[in-house]
Amino acid sequence: MSWSRASLRSKIFVSFSTLTLGVLVATLGLTQLVVGRDAARTLNRELRTTGQVFESLLQERAARLQSNSILLANDFALKRVFATHFDPASYDAETLASAGMSYRERLGVELVWMADEAGTLLAASPARAQPRESLATLSPLKEAMESQAAASDVVQIDGKLFQVVAVPVLAPDVIGFLMLGQVIDDSVAARLKQDTHSDVSFLTPAHVFASTWPADSRSRLLELVAHLPGAAAETLPRPVTMGEERFVSLALPIAAHLSTPLYALIQGSYDKALAPLHALQWRIAAIGAAALVTALLTGLLLSANITGPVRTLVDAMSEVARGNLRHRARVERHDELGFLARSFNVMVGGLQEKEHIKDTFGRFVSHDVAEAVLNNRVPLTGERLEVSILFQDIRGFSALSEWFDPATLLRVLNQLFTEVVAAVEAEGGMVKQFTGDGVMALFGAPRPCQDHPQRAVRAALGLVARLAGLNEELAVQGLPPLRIGVGIHAGEVVAGLIGPDQRVEYGVVGDAVNLASRVEELTKTFGATILISRQIADRLGPEFALGRTALLPVKGKAQPVEVIEVVAGSHAHADSAA
Amino acid sequence: MVTGRWLHSIVLSAFLAPLTPVHGGAPSVSGTVTSGDGEGVADAVVFVQAPAPAPGHTRVSQVLDQIHKTFVPGLLPIVVGTSVRFPNHDQIHHHVYSFSPAKTFELPLYKGEDAPEVLFDKVGVVKIGCNIHDWMSGIILVLPSPHFTVTDAQGRFVLGALPAGDYTLVAWHELSKIKPDATAQPVRVGGEAIHVSFRLPLAPARARPAMHGVRGEP
Repeated sequence: MSWSRASLRSKIFVSFSTLTLGVLVATLGLTQLVVGRDAARTLNRELRTTGQVFESLLQERAARLQSNSILLANDFALKRVFATHFDPASYDAETLASAGMSYRERLGVELVWMADEAGTLLAASPARAQPRESLATLSPLKEAMESQAAASDVVQIDGKLFQVVAVPVLAPDVIGFLMLGQVIDDSVAARLKQDTHSDVSFLTPAHVFASTWPADSRSRLLELVAHLPGAAAETLPRPVTMGEERFVSLALPIAAHLSTPLYALIQGSYDKALAPLHALQWRIAAIGAAALVTALLTGLLLSANITGPVRTLVDAMSEVARGNLRHRARVERHDELGFLARSFNVMVGGLQEKEHIKDTFGRFVSHDVAEAVLNNRVPLTGERLEVSILFQDIRGFSALSEWFDPATLLRVLNQLFTEVVAAVEAEGGMVKQFTGDGVMALFGAPRPCQDHPQRAVRAALGLVARLAGLNEELAVQGLPPLRIGVGIHAGEVVAGLIGPDQRVEYGVVGDAVNLASRVEELTKTFGATILISRQIADRLGPEFALGRTALLPVKGKAQPVEVIEVVAGSHAHADSAA
Repeated sequence: MVTGRWLHSIVLSAFLAPLTPVHGGAPSVSGTVTSGDGEGVADAVVFVQAPAPAPGHTRVSQVLDQIHKTFVPGLLPIVVGTSVRFPNHDQIHHHVYSFSPAKTFELPLYKGEDAPEVLFDKVGVVKIGCNIHDWMSGIILVLPSPHFTVTDAQGRFVLGALPAGDYTLVAWHELSKIKPDATAQPVRVGGEAIHVSFRLPLAPARARPAMHGVRGEP
């Protein structure tokens, strides 16, 4: 089913779902992008901060070691024992060595060495294989001897990494050097990890001295520092994979006297840093799913809410289309759909009323007239109009009623009336009333017009001509011909809806109506088919042939009325003009 | 100490000659001590290494004072066999010591004139310190003969009242890079004035512990 043919309900439903799903996916994507980037940035920053913390921790450690060494070197007893080496006779190597052991315990360091002012080892704790080896070239003693001041360095001693401080023993000039060393091993790395929450390793490209990583991961560490430029700090933290986990690692070069550069490798887990993001995404997804379900339900409800009334309206329209104008759309709402339904009902009501009026009107007026009235071209409230009134009557109807059987009489009457209606409507007139064997017709009402006298006369002439045709048919049937009289008068009448509410109808009242009827009655006595009053005659053009004229007395009128005969023969010209 | 050991190996000069009378007290030997770059070296000691009088002859005692937590004078040259007193003119205790091979001694915490005299009976450099005040540092230079002098601010010296005869002169400075023996110069003192030049390349001075409250503050 194509989209354009899909139901409104489906469209609303699909639109809602798509929109919600889109927002959800966009939110997740955006979160991934923004938070992911932010997490990586934060991790990098944290790693750098850790690097700085780390450097200061190492420096602080060295500084503490140094201050301890200086304090110790100023111990008078130490100076006194140290000074014994000046005199071989009093030199007390054993006391010096035991003092070294005591200091090692006291300070909690792993190495205590004592050397004379020339750098020859006097005593060592733990003990060394060579009792009087020369340390003059060993860092940091070399620096301390040159500067006569404290020096610090990281050196490799017997395969282990040591942070060593050498300080001169002053009495008050240099009488020897004291060296204290702290080993940098896995426990140091573990302590640093406690403080910084990052994995820490001390290594050269050749050897891992200390690390928070288990032994089997350490060969991987060597690869990470294998190709680093020795002296320059690695400025950008790099992503690496350790096992299944992603890490960002930062290598800090550490000043040391080793054959290969020494690094402190600090590593933070990228995956752990992203863990809050994943938790957030799960939450968003859960909220999104809930929103989606809600949106779907809302969409369903909403579409049902819209399409229900729409269906009701469509049904109502179908019903009206089938002609049932009494049907109404039942939509009890106060929104646009309710408004639409009410408007529809009002419209159908209007249609129904119009249809009713048209029905009622149609019985008495021509279709054109009814339309004119319904289209508000005619005010129905009553008005004064100048109209022509035409009365037609069958001459000798009583005799005809006896001649014809009732069925034939009605058939012939109806045939005649059909012709009358046709003739009147042909001239825009309105058959107002059937009066047994006669007809009353109006011209200029309900639709006013200027030429109502001509129309009326032309209708009368037309009727006479039609009657000739009808009489020929009657002759074929062996029936006697019909003869009629037509009287026409023009004058002012009051036109409007007349009658009680239930039986109201359009009509005209006025003296002109009575006079028109009287003029028609005069046709019998005057022996004319069509008689018109002076008011008509004065307004006819030269195309109408007028015959005899007479002043005849009329019932109910003090003055006689002038009537003029219209000659039927002139009709041919008038008919073609119409 | 490196600078303290040279006197162990003093070899008497082969040019030893009988002492001759002095003429009229005129300065017999004068000269300069310059550093490697030609600047005059102040506070260098120029002394007669040989001939040396017989040891064991007790001299009058000298004084190494302690004023404002400083040894005064900072450099005290004496002839071997001299006793030195260490009066303390501060209101606080001092603990004077030396671990130098030429004289190891200790005057534990004392005030005023309480400390006994110390006899310096061995030629050599004796570095004096205070156990309480790290910055306090002094040198007692124990010399083989009574003929010695200290250079002025321009590095000039005058060794007066030296009887006529042949002598070996040596220059010493705390920061000298060369041993005193290597500076030895033979001179013959007669009627004419003698000018002697010494050249002593100096090591840079070592940073000393900071001194606080020098002006009488405890």
